[in-house]
Amino acid sequence: MRRATGFAAVAAIVATAGLLTGCAPSIAADRPLVVVTTNILGDVVGELVGDEAEVLVLMPPGADPHSFEISAQTAARLRDAELIVANGIGLEEGLAGHVESAEADGVPVFLAGDHLEVLAYAEGDAEGTPDPHFWTDPARMVDVVTALGEELPAELADSDSASVDVDRIAANTEAYLAELDELDREMTATFTAIPEARRALVTNHHVFGYLADRFGFRIIGAVIPSGTTLAAPSASDLRELVAAIDEAGVPTIFAESSQSDRLVQVLAEGADRDVDVVELVTESLTPPGGDAETYLDMMRVNTARIATGLST
Amino acid sequence: MFSRTTLPPITAIALAFTLTACAAAGGSSDAAGDDSALGDGHGAIAGAQEMPEPQLHLLSLDETGTVSHLDLLDESVDELGTVDGVADVATEGRYGYLVRPDAGAVTVVDSGVWTWSHIDHFHYYRGEASVLGDVKGSGPATVAANGAGAGLFFAETGEAIVLDAATLADASLDERVHVSVEPHDGFIVPVGSSALVTEPGADGAPASVRVVDGDGKLGETVECANAAGTIATVVGVVVGCRDGALLATIGDAGVVEIERIPYPADAGAPPATEFRAREGRPTVAAVAGASGIWLLDTRKRTWALVDAGTPIVQASAVDDNDEHVLALAADGRVLVLSGATGELLAASEPIVVASVADPELVTGIELIADQHRAYLNGPVERRLYEIDFADAARIARTFDTAAEPRFTVETGR
Ligand SMILES: [Zn+2]
Repeated sequence: MRRATGFAAVAAIVATAGLLTGCAPSIAADRPLVVVTTNILGDVVGELVGDEAEVLVLMPPGADPHSFEISAQTAARLRDAELIVANGIGLEEGLAGHVESAEADGVPVFLAGDHLEVLAYAEGDAEGTPDPHFWTDPARMVDVVTALGEELPAELADSDSASVDVDRIAANTEAYLAELDELDREMTATFTAIPEARRALVTNHHVFGYLADRFGFRIIGAVIPSGTTLAAPSASDLRELVAAIDEAGVPTIFAESSQSDRLVQVLAEGADRDVDVVELVTESLTPPGGDAETYLDMMRVNTARIATGLST
Repeated sequence: MFSRTTLPPITAIALAFTLTACAAAGGSSDAAGDDSALGDGHGAIAGAQEMPEPQLHLLSLDETGTVSHLDLLDESVDELGTVDGVADVATEGRYGYLVRPDAGAVTVVDSGVWTWSHIDHFHYYRGEASVLGDVKGSGPATVAANGAGAGLFFAETGEAIVLDAATLADASLDERVHVSVEPHDGFIVPVGSSALVTEPGADGAPASVRVVDGDGKLGETVECANAAGTIATVVGVVVGCRDGALLATIGDAGVVEIERIPYPADAGAPPATEFRAREGRPTVAAVAGASGIWLLDTRKRTWALVDAGTPIVQASAVDDNDEHVLALAADGRVLVLSGATGELLAASEPIVVASVADPELVTGIELIADQHRAYLNGPVERRLYEIDFADAARIARTFDTAAEPRFTVETGR
C-alpha cells in the first residue's frame, strides 16, 4: 500500500476552505454545493464547474485516499450536496460509508469508476482485484470528464440554488477536454520515444497499472530496503531489488524512499548497480507551491521524470 | 524526497488562526480550536508528520537515569530527560513506561515516533518526544502495553490501571479504568477497550484472569494457574498459564472472547512465563527450561518446542518467511534458529558475556526483533548491537553509549 505524504498543517488548508464557506453562509448560499472525495477529482471538477458551484474537496493535498476519514461535521455536509463525486472502485475505503449513506438519503453520487473500463491489478497481493488508480491514463480521465460534462449540468440545473449557467459548464468541459487531449498527445509522443525494451517501471508505487497498460510499460514491483538495513546492508537485503533492476535493464527505479541517496550509494557499492532513484507523484496532489498542484501538472511531472529516468 | 514539499510554518499558523476565528464566528462552541473538521484520520495528527518508512529508534535508560533516544535511520541521539530509580522499561512501540518502585510510580515517555497499522498497510509518524508524567501508585508496577493502551498493576496494593491509547495520544495520563483486586504478583493487560486482570488464589499466587470492561466493571473469570507473561499479537492477547495459554480476542459483539491453547500432553518443558516476538506477527516465543524455546502460533492455536542446544536466557520469534527464531545464549551469543526444524542456523560471537553473567543486569537486557534486524543492549559493554539475523547473525552496526544502557526498547515500530 502507498504511504501517504500528508502533513498535519496541510490538512488545515482544505479544512479552512471548508469551514470558511461553512461559516460564511452569505457567500455560499447562492451557489450549489458539489462534494468531491479525492483532490485529483477535486481539481478536475473545479475546472469544469468554474464559479457555477462551490466545490468542497474532502482530501487535502498529500492525503492517502485509501484510508482518509472525515469528521462527523464534515460528513453532515455531504447531505447538503447537489452531487457527490467519488473515485469508486474501492479507492476511498474510509469514506465509502459516508458516501453510501448520503446516497441513501437521496444525494446523487457520481462514481468515476462507472464511466471507464476498469483494469485489474496485474501483480502483488491484490492481483486480480479491480485497480482504482485510473487517472494515470489520461484517456480514461477523458471518459470520466465526458460523463461529468453531462452529469454536472443536469444535477446543478435543478438545484434549489440560484440560477446556474449550464452553458458555462459545457464550455469549461469542452476546454478541459481539449487540455486532456493535449496532455494525451504529449504523453504518447514522449513515451513512444522511449525504446520499447526500456519501457519498464521498477517501482514500489502501486498506481501505475493504467499508465503501463495504455503506453506499453512493464511494471516490475520492487521492495525498497528500509532505512535501518541501508545503514549496513547485506547481499540478502538487496537481493530482490537487484533482481528487479536486472530484469528491467533500466537505469532508474521509481520509488518512494526517505533515503534515496543512500540507496543509490548502496546499490553502487554493494551490488555494483548504477541506478537513480526517482519519486513519482502517485495518488494525491501536492500542496500549493508544490510541483503537482493540479492533475495536469501531476501527469506532466511524472511523464517528464519517467522519460528522463529511462533515457539517461 | 523528490516531490515532497513542506509547507512554510508561518502559513500553517496563519491558517490555524483563520480556522479558529472562523469556527468561533460560526458560534459552534466546541469547534473552536479543533482542527479536525476535516480528516480526523490521516495527515490531521497535530504536531506529527507522516513519513515514508518506520522511524525506528532505540530508547535506552542508563545507570544515571538518563533517557536517550537513538535514531536508527540517521544515528543521532537525543536525550529525553532524566528519571531516577527505574527498575524496568516497557513499550508498545511508541510510549516508554519507566517503572520506579521507590517512587511508587510509572513515568510515561512519549517517544514521538510510531507506526499505525491500518488493516493492510501502515502509516508512519514522527513528532516531538516528551515526558508525559507519572502514574502514581505504590511500590513496583508491572506494565503490559499494546496497541490498545497500557495496563499498570501495582502488586503491593492490587491497584490495576488502564491507560487508553487514544487518551495517551492526546498527551493525557487520564485513566480509562481503575480497579482494585487482592494484592498479588499479577498484571492487567488491555484487550481492545476491555482488559484482563489477574486474581490470586488461596496461596496468593495468580490463579485466574478476570475480564474488565471499558467502564471498569468486572466480568467473567477464567482459570489460569500461575498466570505469568502476556503479549499482543496480530490475532489477540496472550496470557501464559501453567497448563497452556489463554488467547483473548474481541468477538463480533465487541466482547472479549477467551480461548485456551493447552500445552501438548507430553510437553517435556516448563511453561512459558515471558513472551517475545516481532510486532504484528502471529507467532511468539518463550524460554522453555534451560535450552528449550516454546513457539506459540496464535493463528493456528498450536505450541511447538525447539531446542537451542545450549542454555539460553531469552527467546524471540521473527516469524518471517524463514521462520527465524532468535535466542540470547547464556554465554552472551545471539543464536538464530529455524522455527520449522529447530536447526541452529547461525550464531554471533559472544558479545554481551559480562552483562549476561551479571544477575543484576541480565534482567534488563532485551533482545528485540523487527522485520529486518535484531537489537540488543549490553550494559557492561556500554554498547547497543544491531544484528542481521538473515545474514549469519552478522553484527551489522554497533552504537557505543556514554553510560550503561540498563534497559532498551525499540520505538517507532
Ligand atoms: Zn492507491
